[in-house]
Amino acid sequence: MSISSSSGSGSFWAPFFLNNREVSGLAIIVIYLAIMTIFAFILYPYISKIYRDERTFMTPVTDRVYKYVSKVLGPIAGKDMKFKEYFVSLLSFSFFAGIVSFVLLYYQTFLPLIGGGQQFSPSLAVNTVVSFLTNTDIQHYSSPLQLSYFSQTFIFIGLLYIAPISGFAASMAFVRGILTDKGHLGNFFRDFTRGLVELFIPLTLLLTLILVLAGVPETVTHYLNARLPFSTNLMQIPLGPVASWDAIEQLGTNGGGFYSANLAFPLANPGWFTNLVLFTSETIIPFASLLAMGKVFENKKFGNLLFGVVMIIFVFVVLLTYFSEYSGIPSMQNIAGIFTGNMSGKETRFGISQSILLNVASTMTSTGAVNSALIDYTPTGMLGVLTGLLLNDPLGGIGTSVMNIFMFVIFTAFLVSLMVGKLPEIMGIKLGSKEIRYSTLTIITHPLIILVPFGVAILIPSIMSLFINSHAQNITTLLYEFGSAASNNGSEIGGFNFTAFFNYVDAATMLLGRFLIIGLELLIAQAFSVKKARGESSNAIQIGSVNFGMMMLFVIIFMGILSFFPILVLGPFFSFAKDFSLVMFP
Amino acid sequence: MNNYKEILKTTLIGFRPDFLYRNPILLITEISMVLSIFAILFNAAFQLTFSISYQEFYVAVVLLLFLTIFFANLGYAISEGQSRSIVDSLQKFRKESTANLITSEGTTVVLSSTLKKGDFVIVNRGEDIPMDGEVVEGNAYVSEANISGESRPVLKVLGDSVTGSTHLLTDTLKVRITSDPGETFIDKMIDLVKKSSRERTPNEIALTVLLSGFTLIFLMVVSVLYAESSYTGLVPNLIFLIVLFICLIPTTIGSLLTAIGIASVNRMSSFNVMAKSGRAVENAGDIDSIILDKTGTITMGDREAKEFYPASGISAEKFIRYCYASSINDQTREGMSIVKTCKGRLGDIDAQDFKDYEFIPFSAENKYSGITKGQDYVIKGSLRALENKFGIKDLSIEGICKQISSTGGTAIPVAAGGKFVGVIEMTDMLKPGIKERLELLHKMQIKTIMCTGDDEITAKQISSEAGIDEYVSNSSPEDKFNVVVNEKNKSRMVAMVGDGTNDAPALARADVGLAMNSGTPAAKDASNMIDLDNDPTKLIDIIFIGKQILITRGALTTFSFANDLSKYFVILPAVFSSFSFLSFLNVLDLTNPLLAITSALVFNTFIILVLIPMALKGVKFKPSSVSELLKRNIFVYGIGGLILPFIAIKLIYVALAFVGVGW
Repeated sequence: MSISSSSGSGSFWAPFFLNNREVSGLAIIVIYLAIMTIFAFILYPYISKIYRDERTFMTPVTDRVYKYVSKVLGPIAGKDMKFKEYFVSLLSFSFFAGIVSFVLLYYQTFLPLIGGGQQFSPSLAVNTVVSFLTNTDIQHYSSPLQLSYFSQTFIFIGLLYIAPISGFAASMAFVRGILTDKGHLGNFFRDFTRGLVELFIPLTLLLTLILVLAGVPETVTHYLNARLPFSTNLMQIPLGPVASWDAIEQLGTNGGGFYSANLAFPLANPGWFTNLVLFTSETIIPFASLLAMGKVFENKKFGNLLFGVVMIIFVFVVLLTYFSEYSGIPSMQNIAGIFTGNMSGKETRFGISQSILLNVASTMTSTGAVNSALIDYTPTGMLGVLTGLLLNDPLGGIGTSVMNIFMFVIFTAFLVSLMVGKLPEIMGIKLGSKEIRYSTLTIITHPLIILVPFGVAILIPSIMSLFINSHAQNITTLLYEFGSAASNNGSEIGGFNFTAFFNYVDAATMLLGRFLIIGLELLIAQAFSVKKARGESSNAIQIGSVNFGMMMLFVIIFMGILSFFPILVLGPFFSFAKDFSLVMFP
Repeated sequence: MNNYKEILKTTLIGFRPDFLYRNPILLITEISMVLSIFAILFNAAFQLTFSISYQEFYVAVVLLLFLTIFFANLGYAISEGQSRSIVDSLQKFRKESTANLITSEGTTVVLSSTLKKGDFVIVNRGEDIPMDGEVVEGNAYVSEANISGESRPVLKVLGDSVTGSTHLLTDTLKVRITSDPGETFIDKMIDLVKKSSRERTPNEIALTVLLSGFTLIFLMVVSVLYAESSYTGLVPNLIFLIVLFICLIPTTIGSLLTAIGIASVNRMSSFNVMAKSGRAVENAGDIDSIILDKTGTITMGDREAKEFYPASGISAEKFIRYCYASSINDQTREGMSIVKTCKGRLGDIDAQDFKDYEFIPFSAENKYSGITKGQDYVIKGSLRALENKFGIKDLSIEGICKQISSTGGTAIPVAAGGKFVGVIEMTDMLKPGIKERLELLHKMQIKTIMCTGDDEITAKQISSEAGIDEYVSNSSPEDKFNVVVNEKNKSRMVAMVGDGTNDAPALARADVGLAMNSGTPAAKDASNMIDLDNDPTKLIDIIFIGKQILITRGALTTFSFANDLSKYFVILPAVFSSFSFLSFLNVLDLTNPLLAITSALVFNTFIILVLIPMALKGVKFKPSSVSELLKRNIFVYGIGGLILPFIAIKLIYVALAFVGVGW
């Protein structure tokens, strides 16, 4: 009220937004989505060049770096790899990094720069290394307190780069398989180097710079000692290379935070500007990769279609979560006279809209970073954040965004082709039973690796006794835990103790969710690699058409509903119905 | 009556697990049925409620599960029965007869089954042709009524193929046998029909994998539901969960999948087309371009000499005598027609002056035919061929040719003594109904390409009259092959019709090659379908059937999965009926849980029975563009599949309650 009376002509909007918080929240959402879209459009021509194996301004640097890499690797560096070699290279490279990290992490107390580091239990070390290796970054440990500086710097920053870039390399091979007909998928090490030098190094440098300028610390100093006013206690604030960690955490859709509180911690994410920057940086590469597909396959409509389908899901989930959080639940509204939405567990510097945007973007991509406490979300708000996990991160992670969505493209093309009486094909490539079989396997693997551990865990009373909330809430939490692991997301609700059972089961789920699926996807690429994409003929299924897009959207959502509806009924729906006392037939 | 018994028998035999293993979905249904019987018998161990109404409910569930498998087997049995009756009718033709085998000492009478490939036989009037072969001498009318059902006798001339057990009506033929015993055309047809019911196409395999994958997911979903509800303190009723599982798995498409495949091959057979594989039928649905011959496909083919135009300075009678002379030994249809028309004009013609002339047969390379003696020629053929041969040019002849071409006729100039003596006009009418059929192809966005040996002007005229997209004029058989390769390079699926030996490479290269039964053995070998009626326009019907089979599968798959949503909304509220909070999910307001579950299962079971005719006949298919078809089918089978079960289950529920099922 005071604002409206104090200023003159330009004063209409300020009080309007202040008095209509629902509208101002929506305005913020629109601004976020617009900025995300703009940056994705700026980046996608560059990414499409990398996918098409064209030279960029950074390619000379790649060439020089790769010369050194070749010396280390020997003849394999120049080889054109088929599926088996490519996948084995990817696996052995990842597992080599994994084993080294495991050893270093497990014995970190014997290594220099111990700082505050503590001994990891075997299960925790396995879980942590696997989760960082699979681009998941579930953090069952307490960061940074439990880590030595050595681990923090050498192991984790390394894995934060290796995981997304190997995913990106796999997607380069995948695209190459469709695009060319030479029978091979390219060279993993070359693709990896290219992704690192041409995509990640420039972008992370830029992002780190922006974050440092916005006030995120980037230092090697020890803990900062601070004394709060009116307190005699000395407070230790851990510092470190936070800005550069944030940058690769978000750009690489990793999501593992420098601090345990992740992006809710003020030093990792100081304000609205960094929040917007971090939000944009976690969505930019997946979205730009989808758009790039239009350019890569010379079918602009196709790129727009992928973008559109994912965007529809994205916007729907954002709105579901936003309105759920904004309206809260009846018992909350009764507490105070004035109600401004469910602020419980959310940072006041972000408010509802900016909190849910970052969280939804985190589960829509495979990032999993959070800036608010998910356990305090309303049941439907939690369902919104959970949707991304159950649909296997529709926007996807680095590289996996392209491959995962292609699985749905192939699957939909199969159904749609049959429905119009054509043999299935995409972009002029006939789909054999192999491609359809593998894409079906990929699509069903995701629900299976969630449902199986879920079903097992819920049957074991000693495990379920770790959960402290109501039955419905626990079901949601458990589903979230395995959903997060299976989709390599890493986001967590928390609310229970991470015992060895969870550490190991999560690790197995993450490995399957990552490498089994990438393996199947590369198998499809190999099957494609002997056939050449020739573009669509007028008589074929138009995979860029609105009808195809609708069908694909329908398939993606329906797949999620069919697989998880019964669990959701006893989980979020149950909590929701209880909160709102929905008793129709008492 | 026998037939019904047979179908019933196949249906019941189908319950044997060793017959079901090929169809995982039905096998799982049967296992579920056995499991539920087991659970009901030992109800205490499974903590099943066992009041009177529950007992009735359990019995109903077991019965409905039995019916689900029964109906699925029924669809299969009917389609099997159809193909068996086709085989039976084919087997009747395979009759033993005698043959006049030509040996070095003359002819001996042997049994037809002892004939081997490469033997020569003489077939006299009134005898049956003993084995598949090729005419090497003579011409005669043959009745093929027992194979094609066509009662009009077919004229067989030199080089035509004849089929074993067809009946010779006139004259005598010398035939070279082209197949060994057991490999005759009818033997092959029987094999094909039998095989097609067993062999699965890559598409069918992919679909089976997809369906099995989903079945696995649903198995997990239902198991998790069991675990989850016991966690929340609910004692889950096993039978409820079994019903949910059966309702979720794609029983509809799963049970009809095999029947659809067999039925499509049967449908082809009922069109008198023998497909060599189910795959060929599927390919047919995917055709982008079809290559058609002008003659015989688009036009009537039996071209008749209509008018004679003598060159200036040549009398009409003299010209007709030339025409007659050039064609007297010509066994092509054109030649025979010219002779006939000449006779019609002048009565019996004395051709003594040309008696010792040697006949030059028509060949695709020369493109002319006629007679010659030394340097003297009387030759008819294409204008260009004659011009090149004699190095002559005649503007007035060219004018006449153009004139004839522009009205759609074919001009055959005749040259004698080194100059043109006139032009024969051959009429070539469009086949009745061909325009409408080509129109349908247009609607399906299929490109039509016409190949003709005629000149540019005739080709253009005919193609614009018939509505053909592209034409290749002055084409030789090699050109046909080039057209196929060209289209294939544009990654199009190509279909073509052929009957000559020189069509064989193109037939083999095309995705769908339809050979005429009257064609040469080479053409028949290279093709993947054979038309017994020799009607090239059937290619269009074949495309229809191919599309129908794919659409039927796609539509039923989409329908099957779309149905699942409603079943969640019916069965889950019933399973969780003790949680009053969750009654908001009970959108259909089905207050009696047992009745609700039964209704869902009734729908799930009887939808199979309702869809059997559709699976056998194929879905209704209106030729239209791909995007229109997609829009329509998404609407009908996708959205329809979502909404229909809600309405149907509610109706079944109300009906069951009305007749007094009040558990």
